[in-house]
Amino acid sequence: MSGELVEIKGEMTLLSVLRLASANLETIQEKLQNKRDSLPQLFDNSPLLVDCSPLGEACLTLDMLGLREMLLTLGFIPVGIRNIAEECVEKAMQAGWSVLRAGRATGAPSRLGRSVEPEMVAIEPKVTASTATSVKVVDRPLRSGQQVYFPEGSLVILQHTSAGSEILAGGSVHVYGSLRGRVLAGIGGDTSARIFCQKLEAELVSIAGHYRLLDDMDTNLKGSPAMVWLDGEKLKITPMF
Amino acid sequence: MSRIVVVTSGKGGVGKTTTSAAFATGLAMRGYKTAVIDFDVGLRNLDLIMGCERRVVYDFVNVINNEASLNQALIRDKHVENLHILPASQTRDKDALTPEGVGRVMDDLHELGFDFIVCDSPAGIERGAHMAMYYADDAIVVTNPEVSSVRDSDRILGLLQSKTHRAERGESVREHLLITRYSPARVQAGEMLAMEDILEILAVPLIGVIPESQSVLQASNSGAPVILDKVSDAGQAYDDFVRRFLGETVPHRFLEVEKKGFFKKLFG
Ligand SMILES: Nc1ncnc2c1ncn2[C@@H]1O[C@H](COP(=O)(O)OP(=O)(O)OP(=O)(O)O)[C@@H](O)[C@H]1O
Ligand SMILES: [Mg+2]
Repeated sequence: MSGELVEIKGEMTLLSVLRLASANLETIQEKLQNKRDSLPQLFDNSPLLVDCSPLGEACLTLDMLGLREMLLTLGFIPVGIRNIAEECVEKAMQAGWSVLRAGRATGAPSRLGRSVEPEMVAIEPKVTASTATSVKVVDRPLRSGQQVYFPEGSLVILQHTSAGSEILAGGSVHVYGSLRGRVLAGIGGDTSARIFCQKLEAELVSIAGHYRLLDDMDTNLKGSPAMVWLDGEKLKITPMF
Repeated sequence: MSRIVVVTSGKGGVGKTTTSAAFATGLAMRGYKTAVIDFDVGLRNLDLIMGCERRVVYDFVNVINNEASLNQALIRDKHVENLHILPASQTRDKDALTPEGVGRVMDDLHELGFDFIVCDSPAGIERGAHMAMYYADDAIVVTNPEVSSVRDSDRILGLLQSKTHRAERGESVREHLLITRYSPARVQAGEMLAMEDILEILAVPLIGVIPESQSVLQASNSGAPVILDKVSDAGQAYDDFVRRFLGETVPHRFLEVEKKGFFKKLFG
């Protein structure tokens, strides 16, 4: 059995939140670039959530497409945007953003870990490893462009998830069909969270911020039932039994 | 109630309008009073495929803006009875379509006794596509056997279950997958996705496979929906699809590479 165990190194530890206090893309880019140049290992390919709450009205002038492209060029993987004005939702979706619904955790970036504030350059990982308890069941396929965000607990997806979809859960994630999208478990820092699926074809897997792109991983479990879990600092993909 | 069916895809040019015209014609041929509406504001096309472009006086937006009555704007089809076309506007801006306005037209069509309302969606996932799917009871998701088309159909399927009137009421839109421009030879050569692969990715019930066929272009050039061409493979495949939609069990055809006979081998 142990021959099939695959060891994966986690390079990032938490999902970063970018809190925007300005809608000026040039300003944002400049600040982020400085930040990245000083701490490249923190930002390389890291999933990033954008929080627009400090923006207020200025959100209406935010170039959603430009922002996304700029973040991608800087090497981030923009996973979602939140706290945007209702009028901006459609624009954001058209620009390819997953819009996170206003919910319990919105406005509380520390729940998701480190917050990156381009105006104040300090990055402080405020981690509160929450023990999430409730369970949410999704009985439809999760399609490309769709997202389920459930920081309160574990997610059970009864059908498949598509390439281009995203699952974010505070606890574990169970997918009873093919898993093809991105999946982030333990987004509040719960290192005991796991990902289970019937057919592993995910694009990205992450537990408590330790993430990997599946394409970069050397596993013979692609297309098979599998479990993703954290062994200390190491992300592992193993058969379920 | 009239049954509202949207023909949608996400990606452009996959065969939505061809399908809408064939589908509406097929329903009407079986005696159902059918309306087919072109939602592609600014890029009107359906009237050409149906061969009624010279008889367009008023359009969908005129009706929504109360500049014409529904009866004035509906064009009676020249090929089959029971079929009416509501053409798209050529010039108006896309914001002309509102949920209220579209809803009113749907109600009025219901009052006029239509059994089916077929909505030909524009490409994309923007307002026009959203309005075309909003009141749908059923969706025909048109997909070509290529990765980008399948991905776009997947996005559309997500929108159907979240951005429609039915979804808002906690109900769901019935999904049907229609694969068009299917070329068994190219599938065999590995140049196109096979039907099984598409079904595996989308996990939606298959309602038909329409082969890639010369007859489609001929039909649109002559302004007669391809389903009227009873000898063509595409015409027959569309007819099978309509029968399946109406509940019949019909085996799928045109999935294998045609074995060429001696003469065909010689003369192509
Ligand atoms: N089965 C087929 N075989 C060959 N050609 C086809 C077939 N179906 C559609 N086509 C061709 O593909 C082109 C696009 O078809 P159509 O206009 O129906 O697509 P559409 O999805 O409505 O496009 P749009 O997104 O622009 O509205 C047309 O030239 C049509 O003749
Ligand atoms: Mg069209």
